[in-house]
Amino acid sequence: MIGWKSRLRLTGWLLGTLTVIFLIYQWLPIFTLGLLSFSGPTGGTTFPMNGTSLHWYEEVWRATVMNDFKPPLLRSTLLAAACAVTTIVLSTMAAQAMRGRFRGNGWFFYLMLLGIMAPGILVGFGFAIMMRLLGVELSWDTTTFLVQVSWTLPFGFLTMLAVFNRFDTRVEEAALTLGASRLTTFRRITLPLIVPGVIGAGLFGFSLSYDEYPRSMFTIGPDATLPLAVMAQLDRQITPEIYAIGTMTTLFSLIAVTLCTFGLWAMRRSTSLRRA
Amino acid sequence: MSTIRVRSPASYWLAVPAAAWMLGVVVVPIVLLVWVSFWGGRTFSTTSPLTFDNYARFFANQTYVKLAMSTVVHTATLMAVTGVLGYCIAYFLTMKVRSPIWRMALFLAFIVPFWTSTLIRAIAWIPFLGVNGVINQTLMFVGVTQSPIEAFLYSRTGITMAQVSLYTMMAAGPVVYMLNSIAPALREAAMTLKAPPLVVFWRIVFPLTLPGVVIGQVLVFLNVMSDFATVATIGGNKHALLSNLVLLFYEGSQIRAASVVAVLLMICMLIGVVAALRVVDIRRLGADR
Repeated sequence: MIGWKSRLRLTGWLLGTLTVIFLIYQWLPIFTLGLLSFSGPTGGTTFPMNGTSLHWYEEVWRATVMNDFKPPLLRSTLLAAACAVTTIVLSTMAAQAMRGRFRGNGWFFYLMLLGIMAPGILVGFGFAIMMRLLGVELSWDTTTFLVQVSWTLPFGFLTMLAVFNRFDTRVEEAALTLGASRLTTFRRITLPLIVPGVIGAGLFGFSLSYDEYPRSMFTIGPDATLPLAVMAQLDRQITPEIYAIGTMTTLFSLIAVTLCTFGLWAMRRSTSLRRA
Repeated sequence: MSTIRVRSPASYWLAVPAAAWMLGVVVVPIVLLVWVSFWGGRTFSTTSPLTFDNYARFFANQTYVKLAMSTVVHTATLMAVTGVLGYCIAYFLTMKVRSPIWRMALFLAFIVPFWTSTLIRAIAWIPFLGVNGVINQTLMFVGVTQSPIEAFLYSRTGITMAQVSLYTMMAAGPVVYMLNSIAPALREAAMTLKAPPLVVFWRIVFPLTLPGVVIGQVLVFLNVMSDFATVATIGGNKHALLSNLVLLFYEGSQIRAASVVAVLLMICMLIGVVAALRVVDIRRLGADR
């Protein structure tokens, strides 16, 4: 019979091994995707790589009529930027409204949560039917934009709620006591302090919109966004070209996350310095 | 005192744009789906008579009913696997890793892929699962099998493998949050009173993290039920779940059939969420205990 201390250590090792195995399991496909995207011109969709080259990246750049990823890439980027800006404005307004504890703010909160809980396939499909009944043409810059904001907005809202929860209201009080109007106080005091959180909400909106598939699929109209173009290409033929696009997209997301984490960290640092 | 007055008209008007957007784009379309699923007749218009025919037609087809069953089984499997795996990882990260830097590094390694495209992560499994894929090459190299196994790509196993890697983070996240909120004094008290570690876990730690487990399970449940993209990417057109059926009918312009499936999907999800809320009072989560 081994003592409970060594048994505890044994559990620790077992759980640790499991965690490491899972992390490998989770990351290995992503690294493989990156590795295979650099395979030679004769490379297939799996190992062996048949040499290393930038062939498939060139292939993405050199467009053919059948598969040209540049217009979808441009559309996805513009759409994501528009969603980010809309998310920033609306979520800041909504979070500021929650501070005012207006009548029915509980319902409002659940309405926003519903946007996160409701699956994209139901929202996208329902919205497509609604547009069909209203006789509205589907298009990436109108209908898809409307639906995607309903997905990015709740995340921005939760971010801004968290930001305002940590916010020190005494600085606002000081400004108001000194005779500044509420609007001036918000513009000159509150806004500069919450800017890192606002940027976080914007990056959230950007990356969620950029990667969104089900909501876009039902509401897109004739011109596809990047995830839809990738899926369409997948249906025709799988080549390392898709891996090249996947690698670029993943790198892009990773950079966005790093910026986001850094922004929040900087904000926490600046607020904690102020408290000290 | 702050930049907004409590219960002022301004606070109300600031919330209106977001509320209107969510109502118009999420709530109205979902209500509309339910309505459309009852439409009879031949034309697609709001004047259609209401009938149960669309539902009767769905349940009369054995293939569809079987598909609904297998969707439930598949989802339950994933909930079990990600639940156990996610709990183990969450427990290890919060309780067993002492160094804050290591904990942060492991935690980041765990959650960062969650921020990249789910679609791309599903595609990333293709080079692994094929007949000449990495898994088969490894198995043959080690000598487990002589010929490649065709059981991975375009199969339920492959879909499950990919979805486990996609959704374990969702099962673990809320548990990490709950584990972090347990006061160390509680465990110390139990240990002082000579409770063995397993009893401490089973009687103290696990009940306190139960809300996290349930919320994680709800997230996995909702996502797996509606994840048609992974199924389509890895299952090809050989495998389908209920959500793929929505797409199939939609592409075939069978809007009413598609909305029947969508409504059934919605009912399954509602049952799941309501059942979870019976176990956990979600509104009390933020409250102090």
